[in-house]
Amino acid sequence: MIFTLTKIELLKIFRKWRTYIGFIAIGLLVPLLHLAMYLEGQRSLELVTRGLRDSFILVGNLLNGYWISYIILNALTIHIPFLIALVAADLLAGEATAGTYRLLITRTVSRMQIVTSKFIAGIIYTISLVLFLAIMSLLVGLLIFGTGELIVMRPDAIIVFEKTDIIWRFILAYSFASLSMSVVCSLAILFSSLVENAIGPIVSTMAVIIIFVIISAFDVEILKAIRPYLFTNYILNWREFFGNPLDTGEIIKAVTVLCAHILVFFTATLWIFQKKDILS
Amino acid sequence: MIKYIITILLTFSFNYFSQVNKPEPILEKVKEEFNKIEDYQVDVKIKVDIFFLKMSDREAIIYYKRPDKFHIKSEGFALLPKEGLNFSPLELLNSKYTAFYEKEDTIKGIITAVIKVIPLEGGTDIILSTLWIDTKRNLIMKVESSRKPSGNFSIDLDYLKTSEGYFLPSSMMFTFSVDRSMLPKGFDIGNDSESVKTSTDSKKPKNGTVYLEYSNYKVNKGISDEVFDEKLDKK
Repeated sequence: MIFTLTKIELLKIFRKWRTYIGFIAIGLLVPLLHLAMYLEGQRSLELVTRGLRDSFILVGNLLNGYWISYIILNALTIHIPFLIALVAADLLAGEATAGTYRLLITRTVSRMQIVTSKFIAGIIYTISLVLFLAIMSLLVGLLIFGTGELIVMRPDAIIVFEKTDIIWRFILAYSFASLSMSVVCSLAILFSSLVENAIGPIVSTMAVIIIFVIISAFDVEILKAIRPYLFTNYILNWREFFGNPLDTGEIIKAVTVLCAHILVFFTATLWIFQKKDILS
Repeated sequence: MIKYIITILLTFSFNYFSQVNKPEPILEKVKEEFNKIEDYQVDVKIKVDIFFLKMSDREAIIYYKRPDKFHIKSEGFALLPKEGLNFSPLELLNSKYTAFYEKEDTIKGIITAVIKVIPLEGGTDIILSTLWIDTKRNLIMKVESSRKPSGNFSIDLDYLKTSEGYFLPSSMMFTFSVDRSMLPKGFDIGNDSESVKTSTDSKKPKNGTVYLEYSNYKVNKGISDEVFDEKLDKK
């Protein structure tokens, strides 16, 4: 039953125009970034490695598909939540707006099954968007710029990864990005269960993300205590897969916190939806 | 009065030792020795030991052609020190300089002449170089240089005799001071403030080392100028 319901939900999602906004945005933005990197990438790379170039001769192709993908993933994971919220916020509120809630409830499916299928569909949409980003940035990037070694510039170190040591890191990084974006999706669905219009949940989701990011950025003792519990604190932790050695403890902690958030948001949505008085 | 006596004694002793061991002939012999090499190709293994740089050991091929053509070919990314890479004294000694014989010293059982060289022309970053020269083989065994603005560096060299009968380095250890200014800024959006904080104690310059191991020399076999054409190499 869940499988059929999820299939229906996915059909509903992909029939809507707004679903494709995210794909179009990535489809336009990533080639634009590729073009910018094609024209200016070498200069940018020279600029960031200027300190090293003063004393060393650097040989090899560092401006390659891997580096471009790393930069794009860095830049876009901050902005993708909006594209996720755009669709996820409509999953429950959209039914209210369209007046199809009552119709949905009168069918021989439980409210739990409805919420679960919507959650699964939302997460599938999230994964497909991140996958599309991976295809656009990594595959297209490799086609345009070719392969090479990946230079990762961290605040405290420069790490150079060999060609054979990169792909698995990207697979895990994109998987992690899917997980962190799924938290955003879950939060948007939770807000979506509270109202009857998708605009509110979209704005609320983005507001929560912005507030959490600001709290994370403030270097004040009292806020430091809250920081480990904010999911935004872990959104960029996909970068841990580009550490040497891998900080597995930090990765496990991040995955646990993000999964816990999804579980909490799902349970809260379920509880709200079970108690909801359907009037439309 | 005492000051005058000391100055006279120092001047006398300096002149005496300078006459016994004049640095110019020693340096000229080193130049002559290196001038025997028209070109070479050598395989090099590179090991980088810098506190902020994590990369595995690399391999490259270095091509050299007189007077100053240089090319490095590497399958992947490689990082080589600019200074002393061609272990050629020509750059330093072909310009105007002044040199002082300092003392005799022993390095790895080899007796060397320690000579201080001060470049007089503005084309170089080097302020002062100290060279340890094996006067028997006319080879530079060690270099210590002060340069502006990037601080001091030293080069330790070991030699092998190539099949063609030339003495060329078998290994080179390049030691230099590094600080966080070499770390690039930007591109890593949302840098973790914790990691930045923990690394503030590394603001003080530390020593970095690059080890180069040379093998498979091909000396004076003739190298085409096209090898040094970077545009062709990029194709």
